[in-house]
Amino acid sequence: MSFTAVALAYEAFPWRVAIPLGVAACSLYVLLPKPRHRPVFLGSLTGILSVIAIGVVLHRQESAPWPEQLLFYIFSGLAIVGAAVMLTQRKPARAAISFALVISNVCGLFLLLGAPFLMAATLIVYAGAIIVTFLFVLMLAQQQGFSDADDRTREPFLATVASFFLFGLLLWVIERSYPNANSLHELVQLTEEASAQPDVDAMLRTLGNRQMFLSRWQTEAQRWRDWDSTGLESAVINVEEEITPQQPDAALLRTRLRELAEIGQRIEASSRPKNLPAANVAGIGTLLYSRYLLGVEIGGTLLLVATVGAIAITGQGPRRRIG
Amino acid sequence: MNTASFLIVGAALFSLGAIGFLVRRNLILMFLSAELMLQGVALNFVAFSRQHGDLSGQVFVLFIIAVAAAEAALALAMILMLYRRRGTLDVSVWQDLREPGVEMIVDLDEPKLDTTPDVDLPRLPPAGVVPAHREASRV
Repeated sequence: MSFTAVALAYEAFPWRVAIPLGVAACSLYVLLPKPRHRPVFLGSLTGILSVIAIGVVLHRQESAPWPEQLLFYIFSGLAIVGAAVMLTQRKPARAAISFALVISNVCGLFLLLGAPFLMAATLIVYAGAIIVTFLFVLMLAQQQGFSDADDRTREPFLATVASFFLFGLLLWVIERSYPNANSLHELVQLTEEASAQPDVDAMLRTLGNRQMFLSRWQTEAQRWRDWDSTGLESAVINVEEEITPQQPDAALLRTRLRELAEIGQRIEASSRPKNLPAANVAGIGTLLYSRYLLGVEIGGTLLLVATVGAIAITGQGPRRRIG
Repeated sequence: MNTASFLIVGAALFSLGAIGFLVRRNLILMFLSAELMLQGVALNFVAFSRQHGDLSGQVFVLFIIAVAAAEAALALAMILMLYRRRGTLDVSVWQDLREPGVEMIVDLDEPKLDTTPDVDLPRLPPAGVVPAHREASRV
């Protein structure tokens, strides 16, 4: 670990998200169930505002059409708010209902990701079966309204700090491994524009400050190191060699710039999501019954064993009472 | 939409589920929080599936759903058994479960026994009791 690696790691974390994240943690901590009075209105207001602020801060420029982006923000916002409501509800039945809200919004996200079959399966299995079983058990077990267990929490401060720290760490890893492509895109366009100019002076004028241009490319090369298989760094060094003399050679500089722009474009294209097969259900079925056949068999056995086990566990009580 | 946005939502769901699992005392809510964490992981799988243009990620999520269903059946059966033993869904009544020679861990804040609800719940007459009809006594 050299100093530059540490500096890069420091830069990779989106520090501008730190304040809204802290506010979100505080409002969640305030809202967690406790016997004392809790400021519900103020806590939910700051919580929702901080979730919106996190969304604004982490927003990336997109080529996707605006309805898709709008739907993404609605679904993900509702899912996260629903999860927070689930944590802070004192009544378990309401918590189960807000979990159903989370599930339906996650299903919307599945649909945006091109997984219609999974959307239907999750909706049926989770919202249709698991939630209903939860509610059934709740009604069976907790008939006398409030209980002390729902009124208090265990170590709320430590748990909130630990989990938000975990979230920050995950954010950092995601930002490092999937960098924002906007600055690379701008730089590629600038380089292409410069390489299209007729003579050296016009090229250098388009590039602006040479040192600035080179250092921007070097940062991009560092950021996209994991995606780069064709030597972006060496291409940047090639351009640097051509650009630093007082009178650069026009033809050579142009080829170097073109190379650089090409590599940049290739990295940009490889970071974009690939296309999934159009026939979703058919594709999943083919995979399930060819490559994952053993998994399907084991899954079926697991379900059978679980059914038998559940019946055996719950069946014991009454039998003992009779005998 | 880019993959990172979906991954961030998945990470948020996972950490919220982790908070719920650590914080709540109700067994059923702890279990719901674990399911929330599973949803975050499933979202990650589907996002990676699109990023690589490969349906395997979606197949993994199908397996997650199957395991979650099996887990829900078993865990709810066990929760019912635990409820029958102690008459409460609070996990902290089970904190004396430990190996011999290990110190017992007790929550710093002792359970509060006064549990008066702060809202007026409707009071229903007890069900399952045969009311004293005149017809019933005649038969």
